[in-house]
Amino acid sequence: MGACRSLPLLVALLAVTLATLGPTLAETPAAPPAPASRHRVGPPPLPEKSARNANYTIEARLDEAKHTIEGSLVLEWTNTSREPQSHFPFHLYWNAFRNNLSASARGEGRRSARFGDPPEKRLFGYTDVRKVRLLRQTTEDLTPTLRFLDPDDGNKDERTLVEVQSESPVAPGETVRFAIEWTSLIPHGGGAGRAGWVHDYHFIVQWFPKIAARYEDRWNEHPFHPWTEFFSDFGVYDVRLQLPRGFVVGATGRLVETKANPDGTETLRFVQEDVHDFAWTASRRYLERKVLFDEPGFPPVEVRLLVQPEHAHLAGRYLEATKLTLRAYGHGSAPYPYPQLTVIDPAWSSASGGMEYPTLFTAGTNVWAPPELRAPESLTIHECGHQFWYGLVANNEFEEAWLDEGLNSYFEDKTVFEQLGPPGFGRRYFGPEGGRGGRSGWPIVAPRVLIGRGKQHLEDLRAFGKADVMTRRPWDYRSAESYTLNSYGKPALTFQTLEGLLGDDVMREVLRAYARRFRFAHPTTEDWIATVNEVTGQDYRWFFDETFFSSDLCDYAIEVKNREPRTLVGFSEGPGGLTYSPPGPAPERAPETWEPEVIVRRLGEVRLPTEVLVEFADGARKRERWDGRDRWIRFRYPAGPRVVRAVVDPDGRVALDVNPSNNAWRDESGLARRAATKWSARFLFWLQNLLELHSVLG
Amino acid sequence: MRPLLEGLRTLRRSLVLVPLLLAANLVLAVLLAVPLAVSIERDLENTDAAARMTRGFDYDWWSEWSSRQTGHGRHLSPDTLGLGFAAKNLDLLLKGHLPAGAFARLAGARPRADNGGKGPEVDPLVLGLGVVSMLVQLFLTGGVLGVFRGAQGRWTVRGLLFGSAFYWGRLVRVALLALLSAGLVFALWAPLSRLAESWARESVSEWSALLWSFARYALLLVALGLVHMASSFAKVILVLENRTSAVLAFVSGASFSLRYLGRAVLQYLAVVLVGGGLLTAWVAVDAAFEPTGYRTQLLFLLLAQAFLGARVALRLWLLASQVALYRTAAGPP
Repeated sequence: MGACRSLPLLVALLAVTLATLGPTLAETPAAPPAPASRHRVGPPPLPEKSARNANYTIEARLDEAKHTIEGSLVLEWTNTSREPQSHFPFHLYWNAFRNNLSASARGEGRRSARFGDPPEKRLFGYTDVRKVRLLRQTTEDLTPTLRFLDPDDGNKDERTLVEVQSESPVAPGETVRFAIEWTSLIPHGGGAGRAGWVHDYHFIVQWFPKIAARYEDRWNEHPFHPWTEFFSDFGVYDVRLQLPRGFVVGATGRLVETKANPDGTETLRFVQEDVHDFAWTASRRYLERKVLFDEPGFPPVEVRLLVQPEHAHLAGRYLEATKLTLRAYGHGSAPYPYPQLTVIDPAWSSASGGMEYPTLFTAGTNVWAPPELRAPESLTIHECGHQFWYGLVANNEFEEAWLDEGLNSYFEDKTVFEQLGPPGFGRRYFGPEGGRGGRSGWPIVAPRVLIGRGKQHLEDLRAFGKADVMTRRPWDYRSAESYTLNSYGKPALTFQTLEGLLGDDVMREVLRAYARRFRFAHPTTEDWIATVNEVTGQDYRWFFDETFFSSDLCDYAIEVKNREPRTLVGFSEGPGGLTYSPPGPAPERAPETWEPEVIVRRLGEVRLPTEVLVEFADGARKRERWDGRDRWIRFRYPAGPRVVRAVVDPDGRVALDVNPSNNAWRDESGLARRAATKWSARFLFWLQNLLELHSVLG
Repeated sequence: MRPLLEGLRTLRRSLVLVPLLLAANLVLAVLLAVPLAVSIERDLENTDAAARMTRGFDYDWWSEWSSRQTGHGRHLSPDTLGLGFAAKNLDLLLKGHLPAGAFARLAGARPRADNGGKGPEVDPLVLGLGVVSMLVQLFLTGGVLGVFRGAQGRWTVRGLLFGSAFYWGRLVRVALLALLSAGLVFALWAPLSRLAESWARESVSEWSALLWSFARYALLLVALGLVHMASSFAKVILVLENRTSAVLAFVSGASFSLRYLGRAVLQYLAVVLVGGGLLTAWVAVDAAFEPTGYRTQLLFLLLAQAFLGARVALRLWLLASQVALYRTAAGPP
């Protein structure tokens, strides 16, 4: 009776349990789709111009002796949101170098603010806003409303984000003008990341009060974190720079006017439409080299290189790498639209190398630059490549650094590998440590050592890959190394893996569609995913769930067992009923047929479809497919020749695999021992030389 | 020139010393090389990487394998290939890691942030083996000097070992004095190095920065060379005159070096020049072929031992030349 009464309760309990767990049980990962078929959407048309909702007219005067800039600007700003706006945040990036209490100074990483030990006054800098006025029919002085913000960390000492407030809001669609006067102290390059002066070299970036971007219908207001970068709206920049005569000046845009002033200075005017930032540089030591990029299918671009005298012998390599980028990236995404591009070879110890700005970028090299190390080529390709993503597509680098750095790193790896060949391995000796300005020294290149495409990222992926989900807020990453991995290396490998899944042609169509549709448009990760899905005609969300939105690692491994076929021992049916067959004598020679078994294991958590190539002793080959959903899969083959080699991911499509060397099994024929003796002999040679060196001591 | 030629003649008469000293070096190095071979073979078994590592260098395999190494295996690295082994070892010397990391702090070595936190720059086992090698070579130096002291250079292994044991204590004391002197050199050099580093950072051009940096290391090398000169002549004096006091022998060695600095430096220059030629030849030969099968590996091994034998021979030539110089300058005892 008790059991009967309990039965309905049990049934109800079971029903509730199933209802709760059912969806969980059913949450096996969605089956990866079949290989992408080409789904032609046709390249979208390129927009002729950007929204131009933040136009700057700037006048600035450089005082070389005091290392200051006195500036004034008029910002013509359009409210593109759906709501009236009465508070307006501005970035004052150089306040990261104001003191040791800024977010940048508190953080780590090679670009964070550093002031020396003991601190040196010259390493500090600031942007001090003196006056802010809103110019409409009446002029409103907003200066008294200035207040500093830190919406991310609540750091009350943070000064890189400031807001002003107007009594009368700016209506949606209305255009207003802000007039701002400020003074900046330029920090010495030894302390600041990216900006500063060393000797007469000036690299002036993120130097003026810049209004925050409107993004997803809200202000995108973030302080200057130690390792995040920049984000702003597109507009027209009309900038007059007054500085002592004798400087060679490079800047965003084209030089439209030069005027000599009676006080011994000159004023240079640069103008550029449809960019989101303005950077400039000046030095008396620059040597100028120019080349015209003019190839069929691309608009002509005048490439202007400003190179340090000691690197003049590398000018040709800089220029060729830039042209190569304009060609490769233009072909793979959309052509570079501006008529000029300035390439900067930064001054020694300036810490301004390896950075991108609209129509201008800095690379960096060393006096001894063996071609095998692909420097300055790879850095030039990377920074020039940013023109196409950071410069033209301009996603939010504060919040989604991987979409720019990662996409660009993927493209850089691909371009270097395909156009120049795999880079070599080298090390520099006896040079200065360089502080923030980079290393130098006598380079030694290891003979016959080549690094495959993207492989340089795997070491960091193994070390730091599990620390953070790639798509978390970049300033929240656990460390500078995690930021670097999740912004550069891991997304580069992810995009390379996506290329492996889609194929080169389809991936190119995706990139072109993305680059064209979102030119000037500040796309997001979701926009990228949507583009992939649209071009392929399939839902690749599962791929991004495994990679972008996960901190799991990918690792496939393979093993093979060539089993000897069994001979009968025991009872079996015979003419007179069951008969017993005893064990026979041990075979005198190896069997002629085998029962091979190939086992592929998924050691990591990332599930990606892959292929397995199996090679048999008689020369036959077989390709198997596996969706990677289970932890392992076994392929059994009927009695026949041995398996002599088996490879998971034989074409190297899964670039994210953290350990490619366990992807292949080979029937051992003494190779391991031969390799071991060879390389231990190398080690022996090095060690013997080291021991002999000890004999000069003591 | 005469002491150099005399030294060459002495060395030629006692050429068997070269393989003897080389054998001591080889035996010690093999102690670490063999376990490494076993470890590599185990890791490469049944892999494609084995084929690639036989034919060349598989960066993927090495990168993953290397990241797991915490012992001496992490010194198997592409930066020891070609000329790299020489640059790397010289770098370790000039950064104070030899012997046993004794001068690393004095030299201002910073903790290596780029080795993934795997520990010191040089594996302690390698450093320990370095110390053992130094002591073994020091032991044999006594016997070698005893052979060089002999008029006709005839010697027996027993005589060599007897001489080694006889002078061992005194030579160790000379070596300690030399190490103390080297420590003093590093201590005096460190602030100069920091100054040069700051000048390098403040340099307008990379060339100037490089010059400052190279100059500081050149200064250190010359200073360590002078310490070696004093120490080496101290050993010569100690054996030739059968001195009992290591301190006085060291002082005499330093004094002799200063008095005959020109000729003594000439000897070092000759050795450095020949050594440079040797290194150039090695790099050319190493670049010319890639050992794959056991035959080519054996050839590589023989060439490598020939190179090292030549290095030992250079060391002995220098020592023999110093004996000849001392004899010429100081006259008969």
